[in-house]
Amino acid sequence: MNNKQFLNELSDKCQIGADQASVQVENLLGVMEKIWQDGDSVSLSGFGVLEVKKKNERVSVNPTTGVRMLVPPKLVLTYKPSSLLKEKLK
Amino acid sequence: MDNKINLSQLAERLAQEGGMSKAAAEQFVKNFFDIISQRVLSEGLVKVKGLGTFKLIQMEDRESVNVNTGERFTIEGHQKISFVPDADLKERINKPFAAFDTVEITKEQADELAKMESDKDADDSEPEEKPQPVKEEKKSAKEKRLAQKQAQKAEAARKKAEKQLQKEPQKGDANPTVKDITQKKSTRCLLKVLIGILITILVLGLTLFMLWPLVGNRVLDIVDKSLNKEKIEVVKEKQSADPVEEAVKKEEVKDAPAQEPAAKPAEKPADKPAVQPAQPQNKPAEPAAKPAEKPAQTKPATETKYPVVKLNAQDEAKDLSEFTLADVVNYTMDGELTTHKLLKGETLTVVALKYYGSKKLWPYIAKYNNIKDPARLSPGIIIKVPVLKSK
Repeated sequence: MNNKQFLNELSDKCQIGADQASVQVENLLGVMEKIWQDGDSVSLSGFGVLEVKKKNERVSVNPTTGVRMLVPPKLVLTYKPSSLLKEKLK
Repeated sequence: MDNKINLSQLAERLAQEGGMSKAAAEQFVKNFFDIISQRVLSEGLVKVKGLGTFKLIQMEDRESVNVNTGERFTIEGHQKISFVPDADLKERINKPFAAFDTVEITKEQADELAKMESDKDADDSEPEEKPQPVKEEKKSAKEKRLAQKQAQKAEAARKKAEKQLQKEPQKGDANPTVKDITQKKSTRCLLKVLIGILITILVLGLTLFMLWPLVGNRVLDIVDKSLNKEKIEVVKEKQSADPVEEAVKKEEVKDAPAQEPAAKPAEKPADKPAVQPAQPQNKPAEPAAKPAEKPAQTKPATETKYPVVKLNAQDEAKDLSEFTLADVVNYTMDGELTTHKLLKGETLTVVALKYYGSKKLWPYIAKYNNIKDPARLSPGIIIKVPVLKSK
């Protein structure tokens, strides 16, 4: 399911226009990004948690050449599905 | 920081942003995530532009070992939802750490880093009490701060390893944490203390150095008086040792004076202590001694002066080029030539240069005027300039 299909379904469900839907999606994503940048997480029952985690720096070794690289620390957006959703997977 | 934003909070913020009612916003957010979770299950893939891709992944069976019993067992294959954020979003999220690049390092550096890491872990776990893995799961506020702290420290270590210290402060500014600051403070304090000690040593040395002409003179006076009665030669040796050292020191401090005006202040403290104690002090003691002793006694004293004068010799007049130090003692004072009112900044050497053509002859003026301390003359006093006659 690509973005276009997703937007269509969303506009149908909310009974708003496709343009309106894409604008609101953008707004929602903007709001969520602000939340993440503040270090908060977005938690929704039935869906899961979207949060930013910090990955520590590490030394990685290229197995073929043996070259050691120091990978810098980074912030990564992670998703953890809710247990409810996990149940549905089985 | 570390708050969990739920559906209603999210909807509220969206309502403010998007200009729709709170109920509509809530419905919209709910639908948004419902569609994702449903479609990911039914279709296996949902792409949302600006957010990322949710994907259903099949995990194969795999064998594992029960950590407690050591038994082998298989984890059955299952499905997992993976999420890959959009490249744009990923970049924006990682903005605080965007400045860092992956760097190639040597094995030694890697070992050192690992060592530092373990040390640092030990340090951090002490005040925080809880071990690291637990916190990682719980994702408490402490953990996040700790993680950042660690990152900064590790980063500092890394920079050290690379010998690129300039990036460190920049980092500290970006994400200041308590530990980082205290660490920096302690090093700064240490530096301050060190600098303070250095400055005090310098000041002490300087004051000693400045006061030496006075103190040194007095010491020499005392030595003179006590030793004059017995053996004058001992005195001579002492005088020759100390002033020369001092004179050489002073010369070093005031970089070799190339011009006449620059030479004068340097020469003033250097010359005077060197000769003053030698001649005026010894000569009054003379009358008791035989006249034959006189040249023998004064000569070594002037010899001590030799290195000092030689350093300043470049501003000697031409006709005095053959004027040797031995000549300095070959004069007797015979009456008053003239008087001179000492101007500000003038020294006896200047007066000597003016009337005799050689500043080396200043001790005669000092003696004629009974000046005890030629380094301390106030401007305005009248100085009698004696006539010098060669012997």
